[in-house]
Amino acid sequence: MKKAKNDQLQGSLALLVLKTLEQGPLHGWGITLHIQSISNEVLRVEEGSLYPALYRMERERWIAGEWGVSENNRRARFYRLTAQGRKQLARERESWQKIAGAVALVLAHGEAAG
Amino acid sequence: MGWISRLRGLFGRDRLSEDMEEELRIHLAMREEWNAAQGMEREEARRYARLRFGNPVAWRERMREIEPRALLDSLLQDLRYGARQLVKNLGFTGVAIAALALGIGLNTSVFTAYKALLFRGFDARDARRMVNVTMIRQSGAADPAFSYPDYEIYRDHLHSLSGVIAVKSQLEELTLTDVGDTESERAAHGQSLFEKWGLLPGSAVGSKAELASVMMVSENYFSVLGVAAMRGRPFAAEDTAELEKSPAVLISENYWQRRFGGDPSMLGRAIRLNGAAFTIIGITPHDFVGTEVGAPDFWFPMGLTGLVHPGDDALHNREEQCCRIFGRLAPGASMQEAQAEMNLLAEHLRSLHDPKQELSKPARLELTPGSPFPNKFPPSLRFAILLIMTAAGMVLVIACANVAGLQLARATARQNELGMRLSLGASRGRLIRQLLTESALLSLLAGALSFISSWVILMGLARMAEDIVPPDMGTFVVHLRPDLEIFAYVLGISLLAGVLFGLAPALESSRSALAAAFKANLAHSPARGKRIRDVLVGAQVAVSLVLLIGGSMLVRSSLRALKMDTGYDDKHGMSLTLRFPDGPDYSPERREALAQTAARRIAALPGVAAVTFGRAPDTDNIRGAAVSLDGQQPTPRNTRGYVYYTYVQPNYFETVGIPLLFGQGLRQQAGQTEPNVIVSESAARQLWPGQNPIGRRLRMGTDRFGWHPTGEIVPDGPVYEVIGVARETRGVLLDGSDSDQVYVPLPQGHAHDFSLLIRTRNDPGAVRSATRPLIAGIDGNLVASTATLEEMLHETSAFLASSVCAAIALTIGMFGLVLAAMGIYSTVSYAVATRTREVGIRIALGASKIDILRLMLREGTRPVAVGLLVGLVLAVGDSYLLRGVLYGLGAIDGVSFAGVALLFAAIALIATYVPSRRAMRVDPAVTLRYE
Repeated sequence: MKKAKNDQLQGSLALLVLKTLEQGPLHGWGITLHIQSISNEVLRVEEGSLYPALYRMERERWIAGEWGVSENNRRARFYRLTAQGRKQLARERESWQKIAGAVALVLAHGEAAG
Repeated sequence: MGWISRLRGLFGRDRLSEDMEEELRIHLAMREEWNAAQGMEREEARRYARLRFGNPVAWRERMREIEPRALLDSLLQDLRYGARQLVKNLGFTGVAIAALALGIGLNTSVFTAYKALLFRGFDARDARRMVNVTMIRQSGAADPAFSYPDYEIYRDHLHSLSGVIAVKSQLEELTLTDVGDTESERAAHGQSLFEKWGLLPGSAVGSKAELASVMMVSENYFSVLGVAAMRGRPFAAEDTAELEKSPAVLISENYWQRRFGGDPSMLGRAIRLNGAAFTIIGITPHDFVGTEVGAPDFWFPMGLTGLVHPGDDALHNREEQCCRIFGRLAPGASMQEAQAEMNLLAEHLRSLHDPKQELSKPARLELTPGSPFPNKFPPSLRFAILLIMTAAGMVLVIACANVAGLQLARATARQNELGMRLSLGASRGRLIRQLLTESALLSLLAGALSFISSWVILMGLARMAEDIVPPDMGTFVVHLRPDLEIFAYVLGISLLAGVLFGLAPALESSRSALAAAFKANLAHSPARGKRIRDVLVGAQVAVSLVLLIGGSMLVRSSLRALKMDTGYDDKHGMSLTLRFPDGPDYSPERREALAQTAARRIAALPGVAAVTFGRAPDTDNIRGAAVSLDGQQPTPRNTRGYVYYTYVQPNYFETVGIPLLFGQGLRQQAGQTEPNVIVSESAARQLWPGQNPIGRRLRMGTDRFGWHPTGEIVPDGPVYEVIGVARETRGVLLDGSDSDQVYVPLPQGHAHDFSLLIRTRNDPGAVRSATRPLIAGIDGNLVASTATLEEMLHETSAFLASSVCAAIALTIGMFGLVLAAMGIYSTVSYAVATRTREVGIRIALGASKIDILRLMLREGTRPVAVGLLVGLVLAVGDSYLLRGVLYGLGAIDGVSFAGVALLFAAIALIATYVPSRRAMRVDPAVTLRYE
């Protein structure tokens, strides 16, 4: 069961991370903060899930990481979107919209008939 | 970070890569600051941050699963953890390693011996380029023997083989003289083990002569093999003319050391073989065996055969298949090319042969990589090898089942530890991998141990083998080399064993650990776990049963072979074979006279009851013939049966102790012998079933059936009349077909071709030692080999094969028995012990102790019973396969089957009883309290 839950989160987490990085490179904490604030505190990213996802995406070459200096002169690892990552973002987005659309259809169906 | 570091300590080093660790630390720090900026207290912020982070162990594990390098790290961690566990439980570890080492070690030894014996190439430079040449007949039979004139053509006309050598098919024994004081030298070297055990006919030594083993090889032997002499020089192809002027031989270093003590004056010394003079021109290297398995005493150039066997025309007789041939591939040539070229030549050669002879018939030549062993093994040997390897494999399986059982038993003790790991976030998969790594570590350790120990044992055996074979038969040389292939094999089966015995308990443990983590119910035994255990027990019992029944039958059959009635009196007889020097001095008439003199003088010895000339009943020297009953020469169309014939004098039957059942004996004749024969009961049954054989006639033909050396007398021709029937003897063939004997009168003047059979009043030993000086007294050049009839019985290849089989079976069986007994006991008693709580409940509910005992016994022995049944069925099939090797036993040997089965049942009963009793003695309140 643990595994399945991870998979689900992994799916949408990747989408969120890729989208976040579309606007420019960020470090891990920055990504967390961005998603949290943009979603009005609804989506809280678990660090335990974030970093595994980051490393996985880095392995897939959707993002590239390198050490740099953060805003308060701290050493941090920044991640940026790669060209492949952009393509993956488009794919994930499309897939998400398809699913969302399908779910909406199913929900709407009962209502209409009722 | 106190508790984290404690965890880290418990599970060993679990740092991720430095980068990762740093990144996470930074993230944590940033979150802390952010929390503080939001208004939280420092402490609060830190704690909150850490909480948000989640379970460090869990995500560290998850991250490790991503990082490829992390996999290696976690494997190392598993190994370290596993090692620590093994050290903590030294008792378990010790027993497990011992059991596994037995199983793995046996397999390793068998495989190593197999490789060393059967996959050796030649003792030559660049041995991979050497090939064997075999003729495959239309019937599919493989024939490695060629004639010398054919060999010469192959040697001179092939381009794809740069050299072709020939080797006489059999090792020869020639009389060696002129080498100094032989008697005392021989005595100094003592007897070989075989001779001490009475397993070989002792060679009596004449006062001046001794026997030496000689390998006859073509003159180019050493140059084609690419071997130089250790001292002196080998003979070479160019030397033919030289050799005829001054005949030379080579001595092997082994013989040179053993017999002459490494005396340097031997090089260049003149000796006499069979009376002809030779010079020793070189010494071959230590343990040099060339194309053979053993080092002969002398290497002899084939061109000089005529000097030691006057009148032998094997070198010129195109039909006589004297020699094996081997070739060296020319540079750049492949075996296929060479084979094709040789077959073309062979086609041409066939037309040169006598159309009535075997060699003119179509046959295909096959080239195989050079090896002292023929590539087509007789099916019986292949089967025996398969049998031994299967048995070794089964012992390994039993060992694994044992250790699996031990692991399961330990599983309950590990519940706590495993449960904690699970609740701390380890995945079940990880846990299983952990346990398997531990198993693999255990079996690799056992493998390493067995690799070393089996090496040592085999080296010791090889050394012993050199002592066992008597010097007269050459020195058997076997090289055990450390080998990558063998090492890989041991590694492979160790890992396999690790998985075999580790998988079930790993699956089982992790599952029940899960259950334990949720229910904290330590004594709970899930139903599926019970099934695994039962299957394990049943399988163990079945496999052990098959192994031990097979072994027991093999052992019993060889014991029976020792005691079974041979059909004649083997306790009061001995055989003496005279060897005459070759040459014109010893004409057939002289030989006959000497033989008769010997017979007369021996008959006069005290303790001798009778003497006769003939062939001993139990030798491998049997002679066969096809039989026709219509008075015509036997052809495939009119052949009514096959028998084995023996030439005898009229007093043969009294001397050897075979009773004449009815009819008359053969009569003493002067001049022409009457064409009467005696047949054995079984021969009579074969040829004239249900009828009286007396008065019937038969005619024998030897050209198609059976083998005899050229020049020997054969019973072809005359139509014989049966005048008597003798009791059948058991014979030497496993299927008993050589009980069908026809006893033919020995013609006058041929007694010297046969052995002297002597009946003694008491133990033959005393007479035997008296014969030696007696023969020397008649003629110093005669050599006599003696053996008691009992010794000869023990020497027949059927008997020896049975004995070796039985010895191996006994050893493997002993291993198997120990392992099986250990295993069955531990698994069954463990299974019962886990039901302790159940017993407590039942007692608390009012069940009587007797009922409980009965229940436990019944249920505890059920898997054993199933195992026994399955095992018995398999064993029946197995014994059916074995019947070719069993000597004198029926296919289903009641004693073996019942004995082993009962033994296992008894062990299982005890294994069930003891823990049941213990369980019953525990106060039910105690067991119940641990709910």
